Amino acid sequence: MADAIHQFVPSFVPRDAIGTHVRAVRDLLRGMGIESDVYVRESRGAAKGEARDYLSYQGARPGERTWLLYQLSTGSKMAEHLLARPEPKLVDYHNITPPGFFFPWEAHVGVELDHGRRQIPLLADVTDLAFNDSAFNESELIEVGFRKTVVAPIFVDYASFDQGVDAGLLDRLLTNKRGAHWLFVGRIAPNKCQHEVVKALAAYRRLYDPQARLTLVGGSSSHAYLTAIERYVDALGLEDAVTLTGSIGQPQLAAHFQAADVFVCLSEHEGFCVPLLEAMHNRVPIVAYDATAVPETLGQGGLLLTDKSPVAVASVVARVVGDDGLRDALVVAGQARLADFSTERVRAQWVDAVKSVVG
Amino acid sequence: MSAQQPLDHDKLLAEIDEEVKRRRQSGDIPADLERELDLVFARFAPVDALEADFEQVLTRAEQATFIDVLAPVESSRPVVPYFKKIVRKVVGWYLRYVAQQTTSFAHAVTRAVRLLGERVDALEEASPLAASKEASADPAVLAPWTGFVVERLRGTTGRVLHGESGNGHLVDALVKAGVDAYGVDPSTRDEVAVHLRALPEGSLGALVLSGCVDYLPLGAQLHLADLAGAKLAPGGVVIVVSQDPRAWERAEPNRMADLAPGRPLRSETWRHLLTERGLEGVDVVEGERPTGLQAVPKAHKAMAENIERLNDMLFGPSSYAVVGIRPA
Repeated sequence: MADAIHQFVPSFVPRDAIGTHVRAVRDLLRGMGIESDVYVRESRGAAKGEARDYLSYQGARPGERTWLLYQLSTGSKMAEHLLARPEPKLVDYHNITPPGFFFPWEAHVGVELDHGRRQIPLLADVTDLAFNDSAFNESELIEVGFRKTVVAPIFVDYASFDQGVDAGLLDRLLTNKRGAHWLFVGRIAPNKCQHEVVKALAAYRRLYDPQARLTLVGGSSSHAYLTAIERYVDALGLEDAVTLTGSIGQPQLAAHFQAADVFVCLSEHEGFCVPLLEAMHNRVPIVAYDATAVPETLGQGGLLLTDKSPVAVASVVARVVGDDGLRDALVVAGQARLADFSTERVRAQWVDAVKSVVG
Repeated sequence: MSAQQPLDHDKLLAEIDEEVKRRRQSGDIPADLERELDLVFARFAPVDALEADFEQVLTRAEQATFIDVLAPVESSRPVVPYFKKIVRKVVGWYLRYVAQQTTSFAHAVTRAVRLLGERVDALEEASPLAASKEASADPAVLAPWTGFVVERLRGTTGRVLHGESGNGHLVDALVKAGVDAYGVDPSTRDEVAVHLRALPEGSLGALVLSGCVDYLPLGAQLHLADLAGAKLAPGGVVIVVSQDPRAWERAEPNRMADLAPGRPLRSETWRHLLTERGLEGVDVVEGERPTGLQAVPKAHKAMAENIERLNDMLFGPSSYAVVGIRPA
């Protein structure tokens, strides 16, 4: 009888970064001859039969070696449920945002994150192996007592960018282009500091390019923070220069990447930062702030800032946008870095890690 | 540059940093641009993220006592707004009833907090801290140190804060030297500390403290030392420019010494405080000494020692600077 590794996902959205990863891990495990299903607490947009309710999991069949792989990215009752189950556990850690970022803006989200962070050490003693997107994440788990850990990056669906672009949107973006086009992709959340990107754009328009525009792509994790950004944009008179798209489809995202001159990330907390790889894939030069896992993901594939004061960011972006040679060099560096996270390499890392568990 | 050339990130960023410094020096980049952008965002940030100003927070709370029962009905889907309008109308009587009571309760609470605030104000007026209002920085103390501070901070990366900035002379000199400097002047009692508390940890390239460090009560001086340790970025520099306590006592006219709630600390005390807070290489630089009594030949040993003692007491350095660095 085949071994089984079933994934348990608190919130499963097949199209988002973790959803894409979960599907890729499932396919990889099945490809290795390991039985693998996805159990969820809630899901949106999953195909019929793709995800099952976690409470419906019946347990291992007699004689079957089974591990439960918990996708850890938030606090959830699912963790408590798994802790009570007898099967050995695996954890795939995508990091949980420190609650302090959310408490002033969305206290209830802060409480949920705090709950999640308190659950992490409880999993340490029952986990055979913890997979981590980054060494940054791994260090957090080691600190709270996880004994066996490995860095195995998240799977990114690069192919989806090559399947099509919203040509109408791309045409509009390029036709209306008067100045540099800044882009950031990520949920609107206090830890991602989109307000600081707006601030830097305001400085950039004042000092370098009054026609520059910024697009912030991503659904909201905090209504209060989103509202503050919208009001800030209005107060600075940037209504026509800053676009908050909300959650968009892959063809629209591809259009925004193709129209962008620079990807600016001033996030304070990332467990990996998939959009950096997406920017590299789409040949957009990157300017990013040196925080948490960002330097590890970026490598030499973009410019890493230790100072994110608006003038400093604006000046670096001005150089990137204004110097074609530098822009091309950053794109080439991005491509080189991207190779380290190619699907083949990530798959090989995962296969090795899984074999170390199942033997 | 070309795409084939290997990219030296550090060199490139250093070049850009130099360019920014040149532009700041030439006045091309407005000195208060970043502060202005910060202040605008602060208007929309939640109460927890505001500078710890009681009046500002209470005003926000009072504004929040109004409960709007007219929930927004917009939607991206065509029929939903009509549906929402119907729901709003149907439950409106109930929501208004609850909202009126909640508003009354919230108003009563904020009113009570305001009254409490007034009582605390009255108590503060009677406390030594209130006497700080009578004190202010003596520009004559800082003036001889301007060149020293500018040279010490030339080339600093990140923002530099001067508290208490007084007439802005030092900030002007720093900006002219290409430093991203700004100042806070205490129009209220502890504005420098209030401003520092609101800054993110590790956000300052350097901090210059003068004026307030002379006259604030001991507790407030210690708090400034705590904040200096916390708010400097790795590698950041703190410079405390203060009067020597003996010079403070003998200053003429001596109004400040009588009215101020605190006294300047000795230079060695600042060295100790900053070292205790994790700053490295803390160094004391003495100001110039005024001409004292003329020394007598060594043969008159007792007389020579007494003159030396008198010179120390009466003609010691009037001010000093203490410099510390946060470890990188």
